[in-house]
Order: sequence, then C-alpha cells, then structure tokens
Amino acid sequence: MKTETKLIHFSEGIELESGEKLNSFDLMVETYGELNEGKSNAILLCHAFSGNHHAAGSSEDFGIGWWDQLVGPSKTIDTNKYFVVCCNNLGGCAGSSGPSSIDPSSQKIFGKSFPQVSVLDWVNSQKMLMDKLNIECWHFVAGGSLGGMQALQWSISYPDKVKKAGIFAAASKSSSQNIAMNEVARESIRKDENFHNGNYYEHNVIPKNGIKTARMLGHITYLSEEHMDSRFGRKFQDEGSKVEESVSFEVENYLQYKGEQFSELFDANSYILMTKVMDSYDAGKDKTLVEALKDVKAELLIVGFYSDWLYPPERGKEIQIAAMNNNIRSSFVVLQGDHGHDSFLFSSKTYSNLITNFIES
Amino acid sequence: MAIKLSKIINSWVPENSKVIDFGCGDGSLLKELFENKQVLGYGVEINDTKIEKCIEKGVPVIKLNIDKGLNDFMSSNFDLSIMARSIQCLKNPDLALNRMLELSKRCVVTLPNLGYWRCRINLASGKMPITPELPSSWYETENIHLCTIKDFENLCLKENINIKDKVFINRNGDQGGLSKINPNLFAVEGVYLLEK
Repeated sequence: MKTETKLIHFSEGIELESGEKLNSFDLMVETYGELNEGKSNAILLCHAFSGNHHAAGSSEDFGIGWWDQLVGPSKTIDTNKYFVVCCNNLGGCAGSSGPSSIDPSSQKIFGKSFPQVSVLDWVNSQKMLMDKLNIECWHFVAGGSLGGMQALQWSISYPDKVKKAGIFAAASKSSSQNIAMNEVARESIRKDENFHNGNYYEHNVIPKNGIKTARMLGHITYLSEEHMDSRFGRKFQDEGSKVEESVSFEVENYLQYKGEQFSELFDANSYILMTKVMDSYDAGKDKTLVEALKDVKAELLIVGFYSDWLYPPERGKEIQIAAMNNNIRSSFVVLQGDHGHDSFLFSSKTYSNLITNFIES
Repeated sequence: MAIKLSKIINSWVPENSKVIDFGCGDGSLLKELFENKQVLGYGVEINDTKIEKCIEKGVPVIKLNIDKGLNDFMSSNFDLSIMARSIQCLKNPDLALNRMLELSKRCVVTLPNLGYWRCRINLASGKMPITPELPSSWYETENIHLCTIKDFENLCLKENINIKDKVFINRNGDQGGLSKINPNLFAVEGVYLLEK
C-alpha cells in the first residue's frame, strides 16, 4: 500500500469558531493509495477522540492503524481504488499543532494557552488540507464517534464538497451523560498534583495518574456490559501477570494496563481539549437539527450499534429523521456490534458490506 | 407473481413524489420507481442481507421493525407509503393502516386473499391453507393476521378509509378473468390505493 506521512504547514493560519486565531499551524497527515486523474477517488477519514492520522497499516510510532480492519488493499475501503486521507486533528498530540507543540510566537510550549478548537474548526482545517492536496470533492467522508460528528459537519459546512458521508456510532450532539463522563475524566486530570494548572511541561512532569484514571473511565464507556462479561467475566488475574498488586479481577488488570499505556502516550491538555470539543458539538446549535441539515447534498449512511450506550442508535436515528425531513438520500442501519461504542472500529460482514456497497453504489 | 407491482402502481405514483416502502425487501420496487417516476424513496427493512442489497442499488433504507411503530416517520411528509404483502404480518394491522395514512397522503397496500377458493377447499377439508401464495405451515408462517378481500374492505369501511383504486391478481398473475367478477373467491392478491 502506497503510504505517505507528512507534516503540512499552513502559514495562513485559521480563524477559530471561538473568535481566536491561530496565526499558523501544522497538520500531521497520512495518505494511502493514489489520487486518480479525475480526482474523483478521494476519501477523508476523520478520527475519533484519541485517534490520530495513522488509520491503516503498521507504523513504528503508532503501531497498527485505528481503522486497519477496514482500510487497506482489497479491504472495505480499498486503497487500491481510493486515495484515502487522514490527519491528526488540531489540538491533538500526534504531530499536529496542539497544546504540547511550540507556540511560534513565543517559542514556548502552548500548554493551556492553546486555543479551544471545535468540530467546525477541524472541518475547516481539513478543508484547507483538501485545497492543498488539490482535491475538489470528497467521494466519501467518514468517521466513528467524534469522527462521525466531523463527517456530519462536513456535509453541513461544505455541501458541494462531499458526495457521500458515513456517520458511525455518532450523534448530532453529546448528551448530558456524555458531558458528565467527560467532566469526571477532566477532573481526575486537573486534580493530579503534577498537572500544575496545565503547565506541567515547565516542571518536567506529566499528570500521569490523572490521565490514567480518565482513560480507565473512558474505556469502560467504550465497551458494553455484555462484551466485558464475555471477555472478562469474574475471572481472577493470574498472580504472575498482575500490573498492580491491588488488582484482583482480570477486568481491573486490563483497565490498569490500558490506562497506564495510554497515560504515557497522550497529552493531558489534549485530553481536556478533545473532550471539550466533543461536549460542545451541537450540529443544530441556535436552530433545530432539521434546519441545520437544510443544505446538505451528500448521501448519508448512518450506522449505530445496539451495544453502544455512549452514543446509542437512537442518536443516529435522530439524524436520519432530520435528513428525511430535508429529503436527503439517507440510510440508517443498526447493527449488533460486539464491542459497545468501539464497534465502529471493528470489521464485521454486514458493516463491511454496507460501507463498500455505499461507496460503490 | 408474474405482474410486477411497479407496473400496477405506476399510475398511482406521481412523478417526483416522496415515497416510503415498508418491508421494502431488496429495494427493487423503489429502484424501479426511481427510474420510472424519479421519486425520492426510502425503504424500511429489518433483514440485514436485504438492507445490503438496497444500499448496493443506491436505495436509501432504514433498519426498523415496523411492528414497533411507524411514529418515527410522522414528520417527513410523504406523498405515498407502500406496504406490500406485509400488513398481515403485523401485530396491529388496523393501527398500521391508520398510521400510514397519517404519515402520507395515500398508501398502497397489497395482501394475500384468504378467501381464494383453494384456501377455502383446504379449510373445508379441515386444514390450514397451503397455496403457492401462502406456502408456509401454520406453525412457521409470519402471517398472523390473514384476511379475505371482503374482510379487508370491511375494515376500510369501519375505519373511514377510502379505497381510491384496487386491482385483483388471479393465480396466473394477471388481472383478468374471474378475479374481476368475484375477487373474494378468485383473486389470490388484492392491491389497494387508499386515502383517508
């Protein structure tokens, strides 16, 4: 698979939804496959909360791509046919400009002074990337969870630039419960003694415990009760493979391990910023969702999963109903999904066929 | 059935209208209506394999159990709703009929006729009917609310539903012959255009 990974600089900067401005910024971008002569085969993948530009294949720094099960040669999203683009979003910590990068104006790490960005800002920055790559229209824009919100926003913001959009395990806005979970996660980071009000870089520490606890909580919300029961049940952890002495059950050991791993990779300020992006998104802000979708021209494929309690299928159905009220050619399918909210990341026969058929139809 | 449903209902479907097909199967009917009448159509289906076929054809589809209610579609202003060979599978066919006429101006309903003479012979011999149109045994069938042409028209009368047009299909799959004279005895299927 032809893969290119590069950091692209945008010297023109970007006006943010908040009114603030980034005078310049970088996006870490990965592409797979090749753009055809007619430039009609470009696909944009939007990553979810803790994802990055590395969607497919294996890389030294980021391991297996977050959507590798579905993206690659002869896979659901076939990189032999399509030119697939994915970028680390603004505010992230995988190479794009974010709280942990250097502020060009002060030559110091941004830290908490990095401006709050939004789904709309991400979409606008991805549009700038699109122009830079000389792509006139995306054949397909897709993502799951927070990535699905970006796909939805693309079809709202740039109706002539998206032919088809895939909105998976997503919602047009976060629920009160979603916000509540995120606030507990943020609180655990803020209360870590190493957080130093977001300026932990200056102290050469990271609020590791805070991020770890935040991720452990987050991880529970990504899985379903059924999945956890079948995977871990009430099994006890072997003495020899305990990551913490206090652990009794396998599920505890698993969360400890996942949290620990994540806390070494993810920036705490990015964690706070990304969760705020998720919380603040509301496609129908200032109006109804039906009005917000008024100009959408893209065909939509909305997929929800029964086992997802973070963004349950009902949220997808709300988008479908608003789409039908606007005469948008839109489909809504609920699949079983064995992995709770995370189901959108995993390939299954029906999920894969739906996406392939949708792209090719 | 030799005659395609799309042929029968073609004249009932206005050009560029907004149509919803409950129990749309693989989306064939909607696909034909896109091509012939440029309709904007949505299918509703519960079977994943059939849903995949709809998407393959470019037919928008919604995965939903129709029995759980049609309330989700009340705000979409459909011109026409279609329920082909499915109404007899629903828990509350009478409620479904009324709902369809609330969410769309008109509706097309097709149903197998239990009054067809072969069914009657089966029953006269003391057995539940098994015919080419109703091939399943009583314990396997999804048809929990079978009725005759007469029963259905009586229901329409009771519910103040106007039958704007109707077509009866005989066992050869066409509209002629005895099924015109005595549909309740000779039609295997009734196709109705309804309005409230």
